[in-house]
This record gives sequence, structure tokens and C-alpha cells, in this order.
Amino acid sequence: MYAQLDSIQHLNEVLVIDTKLEDYSEGFELIQLSDTLIARNSVSLTEVLNFNSTLYFKENGYGMVSSPSFRGTNASQTAVIWNGIPINSNLNGQTDFNTISPSSFNTIIIRSGGGSTQYGSGAVGGSIHLNNTIDFQNKQSSELKLSYGSFSTIGGVFKSRFSSDKKYIDLGIDFISSENDYEYIDLNRKNENGNFDKLNIAANAGLNFGKSTLYWNSNYFLGNRNFSGTISSASKDRYKDITTRNLLTWNKASNKWNNTIKGAHTFERYRYYPQPENNLYFEGQSTTYLGDYQLEYNVNKDLKISSIINYTYIKSKGSNIGVNDRNTLATILLWKHHINEKLSYGINLRQEFLTNFENPFLASFDVKYAINKWYSLKANASKNYRVPTFNDLYWNSGGNENLNPETSYQAEIANEFIWNQFRLNITGFYISSKDLIQWQPGVDGMFTPLNISKTENIGIELSGNYSKSFKEHQLNLVFNYAYTSAKDLEKNKQLIYVPYHKATGAFNYNYKKLSAYYQLLFNGEVYTTTDNYGILDGYSVSNLGLEYLIQEKSFPIKIGIKLNNIFNTYYENVAYRPMPNRNIQTFINFKF
Amino acid sequence: MNVLKSTAYLLFFTFLVTSCTQDDDDIIVPLGDYEYGFLITNEGPFQNGSGTVSFVSDDYSTMDHQIFNQVNSSDLGNVVQSMGFNDDHAYIVVNNSNKIEVVNRYTFETIATITEGLDNPRYFASSGSNGYVTNWGDPFDNTDDFVAVIDLSTNTVSSIIPVAFGPEKLIMANNDLYVAHQGGYGQNNILSVIDVSANMLESTIEVGDVPNSMVVSNNDIWVLCGGNPSFTGTETNGRLVKVETSDNTVVQAFDFLTTKHPASLSIDGSTLIYNLDGEVFSKEATSSSLPTSSIITGSFYAMATNDGKLYATDAGDFASNGTLRIFDLSTNSEIITIETGIIPGGVYFNN
Repeated sequence: MYAQLDSIQHLNEVLVIDTKLEDYSEGFELIQLSDTLIARNSVSLTEVLNFNSTLYFKENGYGMVSSPSFRGTNASQTAVIWNGIPINSNLNGQTDFNTISPSSFNTIIIRSGGGSTQYGSGAVGGSIHLNNTIDFQNKQSSELKLSYGSFSTIGGVFKSRFSSDKKYIDLGIDFISSENDYEYIDLNRKNENGNFDKLNIAANAGLNFGKSTLYWNSNYFLGNRNFSGTISSASKDRYKDITTRNLLTWNKASNKWNNTIKGAHTFERYRYYPQPENNLYFEGQSTTYLGDYQLEYNVNKDLKISSIINYTYIKSKGSNIGVNDRNTLATILLWKHHINEKLSYGINLRQEFLTNFENPFLASFDVKYAINKWYSLKANASKNYRVPTFNDLYWNSGGNENLNPETSYQAEIANEFIWNQFRLNITGFYISSKDLIQWQPGVDGMFTPLNISKTENIGIELSGNYSKSFKEHQLNLVFNYAYTSAKDLEKNKQLIYVPYHKATGAFNYNYKKLSAYYQLLFNGEVYTTTDNYGILDGYSVSNLGLEYLIQEKSFPIKIGIKLNNIFNTYYENVAYRPMPNRNIQTFINFKF
Repeated sequence: MNVLKSTAYLLFFTFLVTSCTQDDDDIIVPLGDYEYGFLITNEGPFQNGSGTVSFVSDDYSTMDHQIFNQVNSSDLGNVVQSMGFNDDHAYIVVNNSNKIEVVNRYTFETIATITEGLDNPRYFASSGSNGYVTNWGDPFDNTDDFVAVIDLSTNTVSSIIPVAFGPEKLIMANNDLYVAHQGGYGQNNILSVIDVSANMLESTIEVGDVPNSMVVSNNDIWVLCGGNPSFTGTETNGRLVKVETSDNTVVQAFDFLTTKHPASLSIDGSTLIYNLDGEVFSKEATSSSLPTSSIITGSFYAMATNDGKLYATDAGDFASNGTLRIFDLSTNSEIITIETGIIPGGVYFNN
């Protein structure tokens, strides 16, 4: 039970397929979100991260397109990494966080800071790692969760795993459907045309041959959403998207050498129906083939060197982008050295070839210093990049084939303090970006993307965690706060939709079979126009939840109820797009 | 607030005047706060927000933003496309919100909101007791475009006139209504001529690709065609066309180079003014060729002329307040730059 309470962990050791993540990111902040925490905001990855991290989300109404801003960077500068593979769309460079089913993953890890040397394009503000773990223990378990709530929201999650010391297989099915017709508080109107349904199927398997192992990860997502309108104009458009991901990993390890070969195929397709009644749509699709070979050499127990060669082929086509492809060859060198028990550092280098852009050379350096028992220091500096998307390059009309990657330099210092049950992190970061791609009107009035904008982001992040237990009572308190100044250097104005202040808080309480929790989200005011005249008010939203374990042994059953937006606050996350009023969600969970 | 204030002033003023000069009959009572000046329609942020209307007094001493909201305490809606007039009424066409706000053009007090019978409304013109509004319908369907006829006494759509795709600007000339088919998201090349006595399509006139602006001079219509842009794969030249309204024929046409795509035609007396490649050109209506040198440098989102002055807007980055620059056309020098709302798309004169 205690483990359940410790809902946000700063990562120590987890078994993940993406070994680079913990081995070569010691000087970076990694935060892992636990199963319990994910389950409490299981509707979307937006909700999980919104309530549990300093990432800011711009959501076009509840459940609609959701784009993140990590440390004030733009939506395509947050990389989403699925089992080590980057999955941001090749078409628009982003991941829509409302199309990721958080329940499909064992761990979700937030890695702050630049990660382009390891993860490639887009890992500028930070990266979100969605991992499926495969382990060879004798275990067999299944879980079924059914949920029902306001706005005719029905959901179901089924998960099952069978494993032995030789084999592993799991299957997860995740479904949610909602009318999403919440009331606009005091406006006497409802959220029209906002209904959605989403289906995600994930399957993972592993074979253990002793000295070598073979893994397979797969994920299939099907989304069908109507896009809700704004206060000032109704809408009727619809959006359907499909993504499929498959990854095969073969690993052979000896004392000194560790070989990993990966092959992956990912596919994405969207269809946008501006007037669904006539069934006409705009389409975009993209297929990625990825091959990756990693050779790791343990020089001794303190020094580890890894070289990676990665080849990616992307082919995209669509109503507005024609048919185009891209080859990228990347070579990566990773170096991790533990000088002594207290001090370690890492060096990561990346050089790309073949692309039609200026091929960037990227580097990152990180250091971790455990000064004493209660204070440790992490610092890192890196050069990162984001390549132009297929939309930027080929959009008809306006696309610009002469674009180059965006470049960012960043540095951060993180302090971690631990006193008994209290942990506090204080991090300062700096990001300087240039050649940012921005669509601008030309003399003929046509918008064209250009590498012109420059930004400077400076910020401070605070996060803390306090746990206490006495007798059968357990308490846990978590908070996050970020101050982010993100300036467009030409205009010397704060970037639109980047709040100066964002905070989250959670209070968890456990007593025997009962647990209760309170979640708080605060987003400060944001600017909606680039001259900072347009302002969208800040808001805070609170949720309250109660869970009860009816039966613990043999056939555990858990029931829960969650009250969202308990104070029935009217708020807009994007101007003119109201978010849900007070609502209730319930669930029942069986384990067998 | 402004209305209250002005009404209070008005009462106070009237009281003073009536008590002091009781037999003076020549008092000019202003028709409203916005009588002596011009109005700017600002489209507003493209997706999430509301357009606005700004007012600037003739001497530029008063500038009021968001006057509709100030007077009526509500937003206009999404994408304020354009404005048209009839007597002392202004008809504000709000595209995405599919409505027309009818206000008093001098006080900006709301009179009616037309929501029924419109689908992607674009521009408004009036003749007699009827208003006419171009509508794209479904922008991806080229067969459902129409001109809505509005009964101005009831402010309702009384009938629709189906037209070819992409109707945009419309203008009254010689008792007929001329509709330019710019072509919506695509390209078209005709004018529709509508008989306003019968509210029926009379004929169409082929003018040139992408007719984007029109002005009336005597009984002629000058039509500026932008030509098909290069991304269409079938780029065509811009063209300036003169249509004689007596027999609805093209009597003069001036071709630009294939890669030249002019826009924003307006007229000052007998001088035609348009924008091309970041420069403003002027052409005497009677001259036999296109001008080769420009009068003003600048790429403008919208242009209008009035009383010897050019009003040219710049939408900037389309995500913040734009600007309006006013030029004296006798010297081609700038008089003033005024900040507007977001994406200033039209300038209209109240006197």
C-alpha cells in the first residue's frame, strides 16, 4: 500500500526496454508516474500530465486536439518516445496528447531538458517516455476496469499478461466513448459537436533465450472525434485518426558487450471532414521504417560507451503535401563515467547524414554530484534541434522546401534535497532557440514558413513530495510549480499560450481499504496575441476522488468515484473554448 | 458606457441650449458617437476569438476599439468579414459565426441579428428595401453558393439566388447588382449580374481569373482580377477589366505579367488604385496602359480611398493588433499610422 502512495517518483531504477533512458541520462531529471496516478487521470495523457507535472497543455476544448508546451517551448519541441522510438507526427511534428491512452503503458517518464542527441528531432523542452516493460517472471494476471460518468462517458480497460522465465506476452485493450456535451457554465449552452470515441490496443511479447532476448511491442490507436466549436462560432467538423506502431528488438549481452538491434514500423493517418454530411475529407498519412543498431561496451564497472547507428526512412502523402520521403542516417556516441560514488558525468554526441537540410551535429554533457546524504546536484547542457515537418516543407500552398532545422541550446541545474520523508527539487533552466519555423504572410498574402523566429526561455521549477504514515493512516503530499519566461526576442514579448505560472498539487490519504485524494491544477494567465494585448485569465481546477477496495484477496475488486471540477469553475484553456463544468466519473476494477 | 455618457452629455447640452437660446432652431444634434469618422472591421484571431470594429474620428483625435462590444456588451463573433450599409444601418457580416449583426452605424447600438438562411456569409450590399449577401455555403462544394436576399424591414432572409461558386464582393451599378466570383478556396473568373427588381440572376460575364475587387465609375465597373496563384499549377496573369453596364460587356482589359497578382482595387475620383508586389500603383481610368512606377511602397491587407486619402491596413503577423496607414494621395506621403484590432480587413466611412 505504501508504494501506491508514493505516486511520483524521481527515478531510481526501472526495467525498461529503452536502456539509454536511465543509463545515459543521469544528469537529467527523470520523473516516473506510477500506475495509481495514471489510473486516476486515465482518460488521456493530457490529463495525466496536466495534473502531475509542470507541462502546460493547450487543449481546444475537452478531449479535442491537445498540444504541450514543455518549459515554454512550442508543441513540436516536446518529443514523445514510445519504447525508445520517437512517435511525434511526421506531418505536423507534434503528438496530440489526447490520442495517447495512458493505461496502455507500464511506466510514463518525464525527462526534462534537451534530448536530441539520444532521441532526435523535437526533444528540445523535454521528452515523454511511454514504456511497456517486459520481464521474465512466472506470473499470470488479468485486470478489467469499467467506468461510467457524466456526459455519457463510458470506458473500459482490459489487460492481461502471461509470463514465464522463457516467455512473456501481454494484451491491453482500452476504450472510451463520450458525448462530451458538458454545460458552458452561466452561458446556458452546451458543448456541441464535441463527442469522441477512442480505442487503443496494445500487445507486447518477449522470448528469453538465455544469452539473448527478443522483444515485440505493438500499439494500435483509432480515434473518432467531432471537433467542438467556440463560444462565437458553432462547428460540425469531424476528425478520424489511426496510428499503428510495431517494434522488434533483439538483444544479446555478455560481460563486456551488449548488442541491440531494433526494427520498427510506424504508421499514422488522419482524415479531416470539414462538412461530415458530404463525407469529403482531407487526408494525410505517413509511414516510418526505422533500423537501429546499438553496440555497448562496458570498459569497466564505472565506464560505459555506446555507439548507435540509426537509419530512418519516412514516406508521407496527403491532400496538401503530395508524396514525399526523407532518409536520415544518424550516428550516436554515448559515454557514461562514474568517477566515484558521488560523481558521474555523461557525454552524448550525434551526427546526422543524408537529410536535405544542414545536417546538425549535436552534443550534450551532463553531470551528477551527490554532495552529501541530503543534497545532490545535477547539471546538463545540450544542443538540440527539430527538423521541419512534411507540412512545413510541402504544404500546398505555402510549404517551403528550403527550410532548415530549428536549433536550441540549453542548460539547466537541478538541486535535489531529501530529508526523511520530504523531498524537494529546485531546477533552473535556460533555453535559447533560433531559426524557429514560423508561418508568415508574404507580399502576396500567402503564408509561408520561414526559419526566422528567436526565443529565449528562462525558468524555475519546484517540485516536492512529503509522505507520512502512522498506524494504518498514510499521507502523501505532492506539488509542482514552474515559472516560465519565454520571450520572442524580436518582439520582446512573452510567447502566446505560455503561462508564467503553472502549479499542480495532490493530497493523498490512505486508511486500510479506503483511499481519498485531492488534485489541484493552476494555470496562470496566458497571452493570446503576439503583442500581449490579448489575455486569457488564469484558473484553478480541483478534483476529489475516493477509492475503496471491496475485496483484497483472491479476486480483488476496487470501486472508485471522482468528482472533477468540484467548485464548478468556469474556465477556458484556449480562448473562447470553455472546459467542462462539475462532473462525476465512477469505476469498478476487477483483478483476476 | 459610451452611449450612456453621450446620452448624458446630450441631455445636459440640450438642457443648456434650450434654457439659454430657446428660439434657435438650427442645433445640429450628432447622430451618435461614431458619426464623424470612419470604421475599421478587424477579422479577429482566426480560430479562437471574436472580431471587432474600431472607430477613428476624422481628426484622428478619438480612437475607440471594440465599439460593438463597448456599446452592446457582447462579442461580434468569429471572423468579422466585412460591413455594408443602408441608410443609417450598418450590416456587419460575421463569417464563421454565420450571422449578420445589424446596428445603427452612428451609435453602434444593436438592432437585429440575422442568423437564419446564411451559410458562410461574405459581403453585403443593398438596393431599395433589400439587402444582398454573398454566401459560399460549404466551401468544398462548388454547387451550393448563393446570394441571400434580406428583407431590410424585417431583417430576415426572404429568398436566395443560387449563383456560380465563390461569390465574394458585390456592388450596385446602373440598377443592377454585380457579384464578383473570386472563387472561394478555389478560383473562378466571372461576374454574376442580378436583376434586383426580380431578384433573379440575369447573366454572367467572364472577366479574368480570380476577380478580387471592383469599383464603379460612372456607368462602368472596373474589376481587378488577381489571376490564378502559382501554387495552383496553372498560374495565370492578373488583369484589370472595364465592364460597360449598359450592355454588360468587357470593353477594356489590361493584362499584367503572368507572375503578377494585383489586389485591392479602389478609386479616388477618376484614379484607380491597387496593390501589387508590395507596392501601390495608381492609374488614370482614361490612360491606355498600366503604370510602371508605384506611388507608395507597402504590402497591404486591405485598401480603401476616401476624399483624396488612401487608407491601407497591415495585418502584421495576423496574431496581434494590426495597423492602418493613411496617405495623402496628392503628395503620396503618410499622414498617420493608427493601431487597429487583429487583422484589419476593411475600412468604411461614416460621412
